Amino acid sequence: MGISKKPLIIVIVAIVAVLASASMIAMSLIQSTMTQATTTKPPEISGIVNGAGATFLNPQMQAWASKYYELTKGRIQVNYQSIGSGAGQAKFREGVLDFAGSDPPLKADIYQEFKEKGGIIQFPIIIGTIVIVHNLPNVESGKLKLTGEIVAKIYLGEIMYWDDPRIKELNPELDLPHEKIIAVHRSDGSGTTRVFTAYLAKVSEEWKNKVGSDFTVSWPVDQLGNGVGGKGNEGVAAAVKQNPYSIGYVETAYAYEVGLKTALIRNRDGNYVLPTRETVESAAKALVQILPRADEDWSNVFPDETVDAPGRESYPITSYSFIILRQVYDDPVKVAILKEFFHWVLTEGQKDENVVRGYEPLPPEVAKIGLDGLELLRTA
Amino acid sequence: MSSGKIFYNTLTFLVFISLFIVIAVVISLSVTSYPIFLRDGLFFISKSVWNPVKEEYGILPALLGTLITSTLAVGLATPLAISLAVFSAEIVPPRFRALINNISDLMASLPSVIYGLWGLFILAPILNEYIMIPLHRYLGFIPLFSTKPVPTNLFTASVLLAIMIVPFASSIIREAYSAIPYYLKEAAYSIGLTRWEVIKIAIGYVKSAIFAGLFLALGRAMGETVAVAMVVGNIFNLPKSLFDMGYTIPSLIANQFPNAEAYNYMVPALYGGALMLFLIGLVINFFGLYLIKKVMIKS
Repeated sequence: MGISKKPLIIVIVAIVAVLASASMIAMSLIQSTMTQATTTKPPEISGIVNGAGATFLNPQMQAWASKYYELTKGRIQVNYQSIGSGAGQAKFREGVLDFAGSDPPLKADIYQEFKEKGGIIQFPIIIGTIVIVHNLPNVESGKLKLTGEIVAKIYLGEIMYWDDPRIKELNPELDLPHEKIIAVHRSDGSGTTRVFTAYLAKVSEEWKNKVGSDFTVSWPVDQLGNGVGGKGNEGVAAAVKQNPYSIGYVETAYAYEVGLKTALIRNRDGNYVLPTRETVESAAKALVQILPRADEDWSNVFPDETVDAPGRESYPITSYSFIILRQVYDDPVKVAILKEFFHWVLTEGQKDENVVRGYEPLPPEVAKIGLDGLELLRTA
Repeated sequence: MSSGKIFYNTLTFLVFISLFIVIAVVISLSVTSYPIFLRDGLFFISKSVWNPVKEEYGILPALLGTLITSTLAVGLATPLAISLAVFSAEIVPPRFRALINNISDLMASLPSVIYGLWGLFILAPILNEYIMIPLHRYLGFIPLFSTKPVPTNLFTASVLLAIMIVPFASSIIREAYSAIPYYLKEAAYSIGLTRWEVIKIAIGYVKSAIFAGLFLALGRAMGETVAVAMVVGNIFNLPKSLFDMGYTIPSLIANQFPNAEAYNYMVPALYGGALMLFLIGLVINFFGLYLIKKVMIKS
């Protein structure tokens, strides 16, 4: 038995090996002819640029970087480390990074400091959305209607029960229980909180005066014992899932990944909307008029003016992620790479096949801000 | 130079490196946190506020949370660690001994983020359903259990920490326990003591190892960041009961450090928290050493 089986095994192994190597050769042949067909220009520059910053931007940045690395056959390598917006900006200021990714743009005083030292450009690179989620056992996803003022009052601790008349009034068809609302929020400093609290500050004067808007705020609802802090989107998602009768806010992709119920939110024109391609695009287009140029100060525009955008279809809590570049670099190769890469990101990179799930592409009008800004890059 | 001399010099050099590192840590912590102490003085450790919008920082709740969770964790872990050590050294059949020891050592080396995720998604809901809600319902009149629990709170963090530190403490105790000279135990058996009585004597014999293991475990519990940040609730309030959500210094650092540099005083505040943690650790260690000495002299 043993003797007769051995040759058979050897034959099988040999066949498999031959097939495998043949297919590999064939694949590489196909690949090389394909890349030969697509690359028209001979490579001129090559090198590495290093960036770091917003964690929110990270998955999309990695996708763009690896796609572009492939497209240029390794000619251009873009490294991005997700260390947080604040840390990214700080490291960029120290001069150890070629670019920073950030949820909020530079603060006014830091912008001014850069401007005096040769200039800065900052432009939106992708859009994200924040969705209100809840855990009301008897209410389906996408049915609960809320307004910004009500959400603000919940996080202020003024609306404490689900059957509060102000919530009932908006949802006459829902059976809302007399249960305490547990308000879940991010415990780590995050751009998501910055945008969410900017929205609350915009729609509620009381929120603006009492709490304000930042990466981390002091949540009034916590003092009443009805708040829960979750670390990261995953922490908030888990807290909402585990606490019946809770409410929270997460980046939209997480809500769908974890299967959380979403709430409709009333936009400025009075319609109840969820974040979709259409409502996000509508909001972005409504804002084009007020957006600054890439070399201008964005700190008083985003996110405080970009939330609660006008427009019948507009979704009110959208967030832009920014790329921050110096205008002047010592190394001409860096300038060329940054220009080439971000030009690609703002054009080809915004196409559906290059946009990671959970992000929304920039409308061409908004992408143009970055494209114009890239023209300002130069060598010392 | 003789080989003995070289050996001696190398050792001295290495000792000084360790000493130098500790001093360097203290200096950098002090220098970086200096601005917050200069601005707020002792209010920084006696106030309860974390409001970056107004740059107000007072870390009292996080200090208390650290002490509560680590003390409770060591309290819960002590009987478990001793039992596990004795069980694996004394009771379990020799052929399963290696298996149990390997599993225990593997538990000690698991990355804490794994414990954190497991704690958040599995442990927290189970504890809530079967322990915290019943405790609150039937013993809610005791202040310790007076808060209506949510799955993530100081208690959950303590239990998770206890689970994380048991293998640490137990492996040290186990090594000491197995090193007890066999003739001592044989002598004990020969005068007619029962197995339980022998174990009691043996545990007394390794008392200092038990203390050492528990202090090491306490250090790990006090310094744990990610795992605690996931299950402690992260609410900046002074805790009134075990079921309140809270904060610990390490989890505060884990939560707030990534964006801290966007503020003028948050980095000093976080370093200040680390410095306080260091000082507390130092005090506890000195106290521990003193205790061990006392125990050793007595026996």
